[in-house]
Amino acid sequence: MIVGGGPAGLSAAIRLATRQQHDGGEPLSIAVLEKSRQSGSHMLSGAVLDPSGLDELLPDWKTRGAPVETQVRGDRIYYLTERSQLRFPPIPSSLDPFQNHGAYIISLNRFVRWLSEQAEAEGIDIFTGFAGTDVLYDGDRVVGVRTGDRGIDKHGERKGTFEPGVDIHAAVTIFADGVRGNLTKTLVQKLGLDGPAPQTYAIGIKELWEVPPARLDAGTVMHTMGYPLRSEEFGGGFIYALPEGKLAVGFVVGLDYRDPLFDPHMAFQRFKQHPLITELLTGGEMVRYGAKALPEGGWYAIPRCHVDGALIVGDAAGFLNSMRLKGIHLAMKSGICAADAAFEAVRAGDVSASALATYQELINTGSVRRELYPVRNVHQSFGGGMLAGLAFSGLSLLTGGALPRGRLSSEPGHRRLTWMARYYRTEHPDPDVSSNAVKVDRAVTFDKLTNVHYSGTRHDEDQPVHLLVQDTDICRTRCREEYGNPCVRFCPANVYEMVPEDAGADGGTGRRLQINASNCVHCKTCDIMDPFQIIDWVPPEGGGGPEYEGM
Amino acid sequence: MKIAVCVKQVVTREWPLRIDDAATWVQDRDASFEMNEPDAYALEEALRLKERHGGEVVVCSAGPARVAQVIREALARGADRAIRVESDRLAAADGGMVAEALASAMRDEAFDLVLTGLQSDDQGFAQTGVVLAELLEIPHATIIMEVQVTDGTLRVKRELEGGWFQWVSMPTPALLTIQSGINQLRYATLKGIMAAKKKDVRVVEPSPDLTPHQEILELYVPEKGKQTRLIEGSPGEAAIELVRVLREEARVI
Repeated sequence: MIVGGGPAGLSAAIRLATRQQHDGGEPLSIAVLEKSRQSGSHMLSGAVLDPSGLDELLPDWKTRGAPVETQVRGDRIYYLTERSQLRFPPIPSSLDPFQNHGAYIISLNRFVRWLSEQAEAEGIDIFTGFAGTDVLYDGDRVVGVRTGDRGIDKHGERKGTFEPGVDIHAAVTIFADGVRGNLTKTLVQKLGLDGPAPQTYAIGIKELWEVPPARLDAGTVMHTMGYPLRSEEFGGGFIYALPEGKLAVGFVVGLDYRDPLFDPHMAFQRFKQHPLITELLTGGEMVRYGAKALPEGGWYAIPRCHVDGALIVGDAAGFLNSMRLKGIHLAMKSGICAADAAFEAVRAGDVSASALATYQELINTGSVRRELYPVRNVHQSFGGGMLAGLAFSGLSLLTGGALPRGRLSSEPGHRRLTWMARYYRTEHPDPDVSSNAVKVDRAVTFDKLTNVHYSGTRHDEDQPVHLLVQDTDICRTRCREEYGNPCVRFCPANVYEMVPEDAGADGGTGRRLQINASNCVHCKTCDIMDPFQIIDWVPPEGGGGPEYEGM
Repeated sequence: MKIAVCVKQVVTREWPLRIDDAATWVQDRDASFEMNEPDAYALEEALRLKERHGGEVVVCSAGPARVAQVIREALARGADRAIRVESDRLAAADGGMVAEALASAMRDEAFDLVLTGLQSDDQGFAQTGVVLAELLEIPHATIIMEVQVTDGTLRVKRELEGGWFQWVSMPTPALLTIQSGINQLRYATLKGIMAAKKKDVRVVEPSPDLTPHQEILELYVPEKGKQTRLIEGSPGEAAIELVRVLREEARVI
């Protein structure tokens, strides 16, 4: 059983079916659970695909009509200042941090839908519209998952259409529930699987644009550093040019920024206001919007991924190369390795952690570790500021990661968020205004609500709130005073709002939290970045969420 | 009872609509699709009738290959089999043409009851069901809020205007166009999804003679207008005139 129908989960499913065909024996029943209404609906990435994982999974992908067509042809890196830019000279391919040679610009939504068609053709059951809400255990052994109840109203009462969740048992459960997956999160906590370093994350915000022809040749890849971020913030912008005037325009910000009044969505707007970018977008039309967190901690942040009866793959585990800004191929490869390990274990009749440890061996001896280990300290190095990070990345690349030595320490990103009083010292900023606020023009720049409309997000309104805030009293008292309610800013979908209340009420600050849960685009940023760690993202009723068609 | 349900695949309501280059339809190449809402209620009503009275539910749809998505959804919810009329020419076809395509595929089945949604979320003509009934030479009733079946006779509740309803008795076979909200939609279950894979879907090609009855000449976003009028006179007279204008000309009160 595979929980999550993204690149990692579907690769595992397809690999299992391939092994089955190749090795014969008792037929395995393979099922994939996916919370989105249709395959691919919750998939969001840049996306530049390194096809090596696909080559391994389905070597004949070209004849199968994979939507992988636009080869990367030009790679441009810029350093931006507020009004101008510096283009880096072409970098020899051995030192190119992105290693884009032979890569493709794709729509991950289309790619995953195609993968799911390949899986279904192999007889695999893909259940869309079903979220896994609980891991089922027998002692410490994972025996399956429970799907969410459907037909519960906003007060927690059963509606006439109530359909109870189902317990699905499996010999092996593969968790492919994505970045900060709700099941992987509880599994890692319960069994103490954390890697040597805490996972660190970033948030990626993306729009799909249609611009007049000839702005940028299809296959062009642009990355920017610098403005609008300060040296204390990690991240940058990207533009990937697809055919027919389509541009994927996005911005990534490390979820370890210090300024509590910083707003990643505003940083994205400022990025688009830069002359270099505005020039590309003016006269075009924004047609889609989305946001998603990504795991950036690298090799040392990967938890132990094999336990009795279960494996963890893809973004859920953190298989992403933050220096190359790529994770799809690693997600696929981890899925393949997990499938191989699970297949052998089921055939041998032993699905214990020690039997499933084959997964770890396959990762360690294969191309996943070969790619991730040399860049193991890259993201952590940016903790010391962008210039230190850049210098570090260069040294690391030149020496294959041998220098600098050792493992850099890092801390969870939310701990770096600083109290307003400490960050702003003598100033007393208004906690309702972002420090990087801009006035949007609704032509190139947009407010969050307009953007959310373009994410196609839909949830049944009459259901319990799926963002569990353990103590909303903290929001109206301590958090407001100490951090100025950063959730209002780091959420890219306007889910969190501080609305007026009677100032004197129970020592409050005149505002209370309102959660607009139906706006949620399932990016997981709140679960990650909340300084008090009291927000728990749990899956809403299956089928709800964004609709990232073409993204 | 042998029940047919006609469902249409439409662009999802959350999709930000854009007009295509020819300005005759919306850009649907990158769109996300779903089952037309009133049709989903028609399907639910058919499933409930089957649960009460026995028989089978056959889901019928006409459109390009992509409509297989809504057929599959209907089968997962409990329909027994499907008929799909496949042609790219039916992608944005008018109600008459769709009804003709469906009628020729459905005629030989001799259904006791045919349910359709009241209207489609995209074109909203509310004609397909009515024309289909004529082509199948069976009676029809529109805007149905409740269906009762006793000994092969139907008693149906029609929605009229202003909160009024009308009860009508009619024989079977018949066609009913179902209003949204008549029941509560069920969820597809894991078992239903697995079972759907094995259900029979008959794919038929429409007759080559099938031609449109209507042509969309131009599609455009409603033009926004703004007008200012100053009403002269004493405050009393102006107020009376203002009320008259709002009531009779602007028709907002």
